[in-house]
This record gives sequence, C-alpha cells and structure tokens, in this order.
Amino acid sequence: MSVAAHNPSRGRGRRSSPLSWRWGDRLVLLCAWAAGVGLCLIAGAIVIYMGYRGVEYLRPSLIFSRPQTGTSQAGSGGILDPILGTLLLTVIGIALAVPLAVGSAVWIAEYGQGGRGRQSLARVVESSVEVVAGTPDIVIALFGLAIFQLGLFAPLSFTAEGGGVYGRSFLAAGAMMSLLALPPVFAATRDGMQAVPAHMREAAFALGKTRITTIRRVLLPSVRSNIATGVTLGISRIIGDTAIVLVLLGGTHQIEPQNSVPVLGLLRGTGTALTSFVYENSPAGEGAAPQKAYAAAFVLLMFVLGLNLIVGRIGREKPLTSVV
Amino acid sequence: MHRIRRLSAAFAVTGVLGVAAPAVANATHLVTISGATASYPLVSLLAQKYVKTHPHKLKFKIAQGGAQIGINDVAAGRVTIGDVSREPQTSDPAGLVFYPIAKYAICVITNKANPLTNLTSSQVVSIFTGKLRSWSQVPGATAGGTIDLISRTSVAGVLTSFQSLLLEGKKVSTIATEEASEGLLKQQVENDPNSIGFVSNYQADLGGVNSVGYNGVACNKSTAASGQYAGIARFNEVTKGKATGAAAAFIGWIRSSSAARKIIASQWIPVA
Amino acid sequence: MLERLRTPWPDRRAERSLGALSLLVGVGVVAMVVFVGIRAWPIFEHNGLSWLGPGGHLETQFANMQATGVDAPASAFHLRAWPIVYGTLLTSVFAVGFGLAIAVLASIFIVELAPERLRRIAIPVIRLLASVPSVVYGLIGILVLVPFVGNHLITASEKASVQNTVELTGAGLGVTVVILTVMITPIMIALICEALMAAPVSWREGAIALGLNPLRAVLAVTLRAIRPAIVAAAVLASARALGEAVMIQMVSGGRFFTPKPTDGVIFPFEPLRTAASTIVDYVDGTGAPALRATLYALALMLLFSAFVLSIGGYMIKLPLRKYQTRG
Repeated sequence: MSVAAHNPSRGRGRRSSPLSWRWGDRLVLLCAWAAGVGLCLIAGAIVIYMGYRGVEYLRPSLIFSRPQTGTSQAGSGGILDPILGTLLLTVIGIALAVPLAVGSAVWIAEYGQGGRGRQSLARVVESSVEVVAGTPDIVIALFGLAIFQLGLFAPLSFTAEGGGVYGRSFLAAGAMMSLLALPPVFAATRDGMQAVPAHMREAAFALGKTRITTIRRVLLPSVRSNIATGVTLGISRIIGDTAIVLVLLGGTHQIEPQNSVPVLGLLRGTGTALTSFVYENSPAGEGAAPQKAYAAAFVLLMFVLGLNLIVGRIGREKPLTSVV
Repeated sequence: MHRIRRLSAAFAVTGVLGVAAPAVANATHLVTISGATASYPLVSLLAQKYVKTHPHKLKFKIAQGGAQIGINDVAAGRVTIGDVSREPQTSDPAGLVFYPIAKYAICVITNKANPLTNLTSSQVVSIFTGKLRSWSQVPGATAGGTIDLISRTSVAGVLTSFQSLLLEGKKVSTIATEEASEGLLKQQVENDPNSIGFVSNYQADLGGVNSVGYNGVACNKSTAASGQYAGIARFNEVTKGKATGAAAAFIGWIRSSSAARKIIASQWIPVA
Repeated sequence: MLERLRTPWPDRRAERSLGALSLLVGVGVVAMVVFVGIRAWPIFEHNGLSWLGPGGHLETQFANMQATGVDAPASAFHLRAWPIVYGTLLTSVFAVGFGLAIAVLASIFIVELAPERLRRIAIPVIRLLASVPSVVYGLIGILVLVPFVGNHLITASEKASVQNTVELTGAGLGVTVVILTVMITPIMIALICEALMAAPVSWREGAIALGLNPLRAVLAVTLRAIRPAIVAAAVLASARALGEAVMIQMVSGGRFFTPKPTDGVIFPFEPLRTAASTIVDYVDGTGAPALRATLYALALMLLFSAFVLSIGGYMIKLPLRKYQTRG
C-alpha cells in the first residue's frame, strides 16, 4: 500500500514546518508521536520482559517433563501436559470449526444470492456469525457448561458416582473453542470467495462443470491462502483463550484420560492447557509458582508470535485472484 | 473392491470394540471429590496412597472451591464425596452424613516482618471484627499503619470454624479482603507486611509466615494434639446418605488403615 | 458407500448440505441465547429487572445463595447487582474513552506522521499487541503492576483514610483500566488506520490548498470523514472490553465495591468487580441453584450488551454513510 501516493503531505513539494504551526496543532503532533511511539515501546517492553523472565525460568527440561500432581507446582515438574493440552484443544477446535465455517461461507458466497428465502437465510447466518464473534469467551464457556452437563451429552465427558454429569472434558472445551475459531475462518473464506473474479466461474461453467465441482476444483483452491489466514487467526484465538479452558477442561494438573480406550478416552478426559496453567500458578490461582507461570507464559507468547509471523507471511503471498 | 472395503470396515469396528471391551469389563470406578481447600493436601495424599495400594480399583478427581461448594455439590449429586473443614450447620441440606477423618488447628498468622508472638482472645476478636484498625494499638506488633485483614470467602469451612472457635461466634469484619483458598490467604500475608490472617496449621507450618500464639499457647501440631490449643476443628468427608460402594471403600480405608493414619499424623492430628 | 461420496454430487444435494451446515450455525447461536436465558430465568422471576439496581449488601446476597445450597428458598434468589453493573460500566467506559483517544492519535501517527522505517516497525508491533493472550496481560499486571501500585503509589495515609471501608492493595480500577486500554487500542487502531488510508484524498488536498497545515487538514477534514469507522472501532472495542474476564479478575481486586469518584486520588486504587470477572470468581459454585441463575443472568446481560452494541453501531453508521464517497 503506497501511502505516499495518496498522502499529499508526503513526497516532494514545500512542506509547512511544524515550527510555524499553532500551539494546539503542535500539541496534537506531540501527542500523536507519543501515542504511536508509546504503544510500540509498551509492546516492546512486554516482549522483552516476558523474554527476560522466560529465559530466566524456562529450561528445556521443563518442556519435556510433566507437571506434579500435588498441590503446588513450586518444586519440580514441567509444562509438558499444558503444551499438549493446548495442542489437543487447537486440533479439536479447528477440526470442528473449519468444515462448518468453510461450508457456510461457501454457501453464502455461491448459493446465498439468489431468491428471497435464500437471501434472508444468508443474512441470518451472517448475523449469527457476527453474534458469535462478539460474544465474550466467558459466556461461551457458560453455554458449554449448560450443554455438556445435560444428561444427553454424558458420553462426551463422564458421570460421577452420584449421578451428576461432570460436563468438563477436552471434547467439551474443544467444541466451544470451535466457536471461537468460527468467525475468523468464516470471514476469511467468504471474503476470499467474493473476491474471486467472475471470469473464473464463467470459464468453468462454460466448460460444462456443475456448480459444486467448480467450487471444489476451481474456487476453493484459489482461496487456499485466505482460508489459511483465517485458520491461523482462529488458532491464535484458541491458544490464547483462558476462560473456556478454566471452566470446561476440568483443571487437573496432568492430562487424565477418562478410560483406556485410545482416542475417545483422551477426548473425554480432563487436563490443562498453557493458559489455565499460567493462571493457576499466578497469584490469582493457587499461586505458589510464579516461575512456572512465567515459563509457560513465555512458551505461549512464542506460539502467538510464531502464528503472527505465519499470518504475515501468508498475507504477503499473492493469491491467484490478483492476477487479472 | 467392495468386499475388501467392507471387510476392512468390519475389522476396524471389531478392533475398537475389542479394545473397549476389556476396558469396560474391569472399569475402575471414578470418585469425584470437591470442597475445602484446607483438606485438599490431605485428601490428595490419601487418594494417591489408596491408588498405590489398591491398583485399578478407584480413580479420583479432586477439585476444590471451599467447604460450602463441597456440601452443595454432594447434596446435588454432582460429586461423590464432599471435603468439608467444619462441623455440620443447621443450614446444611438434610440427608448428608459427615465422617470425620482428621483434626487440624487454626493458626492466626502475620507477616514475617511483624513477629507478633501472642494475642489474647479479646485482642483477636477486636482485630478481626474491625474494632482495632491500626497496628499501633496492638502491643507486641512491630508493624505500623493500618491492619490489613485477610480472610476467606464465605464458602470456606475454615472461616466458619475460625469464627466459632476463636472469634467467640462473631463474624469477621466486612472490610477484610477475602481470599478464595488457604494458599492464596497465606500468600497474601507473606507479601503484605501489615497483614494478619488465619490458616490451618499445615499451611502455617509450610513456613514463610509468622504463627501467632493464642492466649499464651503456640499454634502447632503438638499443642493441637495435646488439646491445649483452643482452635481445633475437624476435616469431614461428606456423602449424601450413608456412604456406599466406592465412597464407602475409600472412607472406610481412611478411617481404619494404618497407612492412612500415618499420612494423617504426618501433618495433621488423627481423630481418636 | 464410499463410492457415493467420491462421485461428484449433484448441485441440489450439495446446496442442501451446505445450506444445512449454514443453518446449523444459526441454530447454534439461537441455542446459546435460549440455554443461557433458561438458566438465567429464576433471577428474573424473583427480582424482575430490579436485580440490576442497588440495594443491600451484595456480598451477603452471594454468601446467602451459597449457604442455602440446593434447597434454596425464594429469599435466596434476592439479588441487587448494581456494584457489578457499575464496575462493568466504569472499566469499559474509561478504557474505551482513553483507548479511542490514543487510537486516533496513534493511527494519525502511523498513517501520516511516521517515517517509513518507523511505520514498517509499528504495524507488526501493534498487531502483536492485539494478539497477546489476556492471561499474559493479567500475569504482568498481577506480578508487576499491582505490587508497584500497592507498594509505591498508595501511601499509608491514603490506606488509613479508608481503613474503615475497604482495604487498598494495589489491585483495583487504575491497573484494570490501564491494561484494558492497552488490550483494546490495537483493535481500534487497525480499523481507524484502514479508514484513514481509504478516505478521499481530494478533500484533504482541498483543505491544504486553502492554507491549512497537513496535520490540521487531517484533523479537520479526514477525521470527520471517517466518523463511521471511529464509531465502529469504539463499538468493537467496547464489546471486547465488556467481555474481558480473566485479566480483570486477576487485577481488579475482587470486591463488590463501588469506587467513588469523589474519593479523589484514592479513586483509581479502589477495588471492584465486573460482570465477567464475577462469573470467573464464582464459576465453581454452580452447584447452588440461586448462584447458578445469577451467573447465567450476568452472562445474559453480557450477551445482550454485545448484541445491542453491534446493532447500535450499525445504526449509527447508517446515516453517516452518505458522507463517504470514493474519492
């Protein structure tokens, strides 16, 4: 984006020097600089401080050892289970969100234009995704608690010996995480699909392809980078979320599968994620181990930074649709 | 082609069932526990020992939240056993059975920079009910300034026991900061030189805070065991109706086995 | 059967399946509102809408809900949650207010004033601020800012002056608003920068031709032109600020207290609770029906506010649309 092209105050030509401006304008100039530079400094301070603490407290042995099951993490014990928990939640969340989001976005972009009934349904779906995007994560967590403690969903977590459905498991938390990832993937796919130039579709139709084949073979591959950006944004939201993990993951220090059935037992089990681990070890949770909290927070921040870099990289790739 | 696909599907299904079946056959019972933060260390140790000595019988999921949370959860049937750090109250739901498993002492604690050695019962009452607000009014205190009262949230059993045993039934002042667990209360007292609070003797013995004597009696395990110290309360395991099945096995083991008694005696006081 | 999945589907079946998926999303949202509403109903049944108002001691009401437990009589549902509503409004209004001013200034800096190298650094850095997880903000808040405020900014005499009402520990309104502002400003900057860059250039050129200096031209002309974007940014940021739960729970002091502006210097140090932070604090207690209904009522309030903000923002943007031209 060439700012110089649209900005008449840049580039050549006579510029009025700030020294000739009124005091009010000079004050605003100063404040604008202060705001911009200040925010950069704050971001830098956060990264540097967390980096300093992370290097101070994070040792490679921590990443590969499991947390203690006891009351306090202040002694030995690592952060392997929180890392695995975060990864597992991300996988579940994305696996549930992507089909739903891409399917709906494709429907809206391709089929939702024609006819009164379809247009109103399209509007309903778009508004619903907006509502989900704006819903606070703690409300989504409470909604999850309400659903998964119904008897109907007992197989998705487990039942206590007194008859109450526990309602907290990786599946429960992962399902609600998918609601977090849904809006970014949906928006990215829909924008990508709408940006595909008409001639690509027309060419496919001219060759005799049906609509669904066009979507599968021509359009979806061309919006791959959009979907990838959306998915990366969704992953970023999932790994950074704390409220859903605190409420719906059961809060055990280690990952505890429900039974020994290979995959289902793990999904129905309880565990911990990096965000809840940081919370529990800070002075707001059980608090006895701020060093572990710093170490886990550093790992979390590294994940987020990495995802940011990926989004930047993908964004810079030229999608097919820009070639006209 | 089709037959191979159908056969492989059949194998996959039997494979999953085959793995699942033996797991279902000797399914371990899951015991869920929630409740007091003061008894959490004890119950965790007991559960770990039980699993070690009785493998593949029971599995435990222990949550905290406070004694009242344990009472509400077990009354609603959401957990198998409730950890409660106080005696039954009249407001408790009907039908709950309390099984005492250990005794503990409630110690008044101050910051290490404020090494108060003793408080009389009237001083404790005046401080915690908010009548005395400044350390200068407390003889023997080296701290100055406002007294920062650190208490527990209303769901805490230790709070109820503290109020009835050491506060002559009066309530802690509403000015006090309320912490959600013992660990947090102790942490707050560790970090604030002007603070005063109350925790179980297990937390006080972990170090980092100054334990204050009550009416001339120091607060530790031996004075509690001998009965000298006034603030002795009990940990109870609570079930809805008489304990049956897994709950009965666990609670029975706690009350009868010598291994359990050894664990209880390490940091707490056995009941009888 | 797998054969059937592999051959290309007829358009109608594909359309119906995708339509069903889309419908699922809509149904899910309706289900969310319905479930939360049903669980929240007892509070409305026993209090009407006055549960949002003042009256009585909120801590006692919460304690009562948990003490009565499963056999909750009607009196257990009594709730006057004004301190929570007040705390939520206070933090959000301050954070969005400060944040908007900072975001506008920073956006002007990024788009107009910054030299090229600085802008290339600033944009990813601001994007980084937006993606830091809230628990990391909370960790830095509770381990760095709260002790700093508690030990160095609050004097003993200030503490003593309120010692019969509340205890000042450093965690409170000030730290909450500072961190919340830092959290929501990047969201607003992204939107406002985009709008600044898309604003019609010819209007500004006209202002400069009339003799305004470049900065004043931006302030007088372009900012007015992008008012819908500023509104949208404020709305989006408000929704985020309302919903922030964990970070606020860590640094706000956790008391049902209504900070009074008339307390002067002490005002920023007073503790409070917001709706979201209350839910996090009491989420263990959903075994008590009265408390469970309260938490879901607070969630419904948050859901409703987010909904109203979106609709309100949309309606504010609508009449302003006619001022936007593609320069």
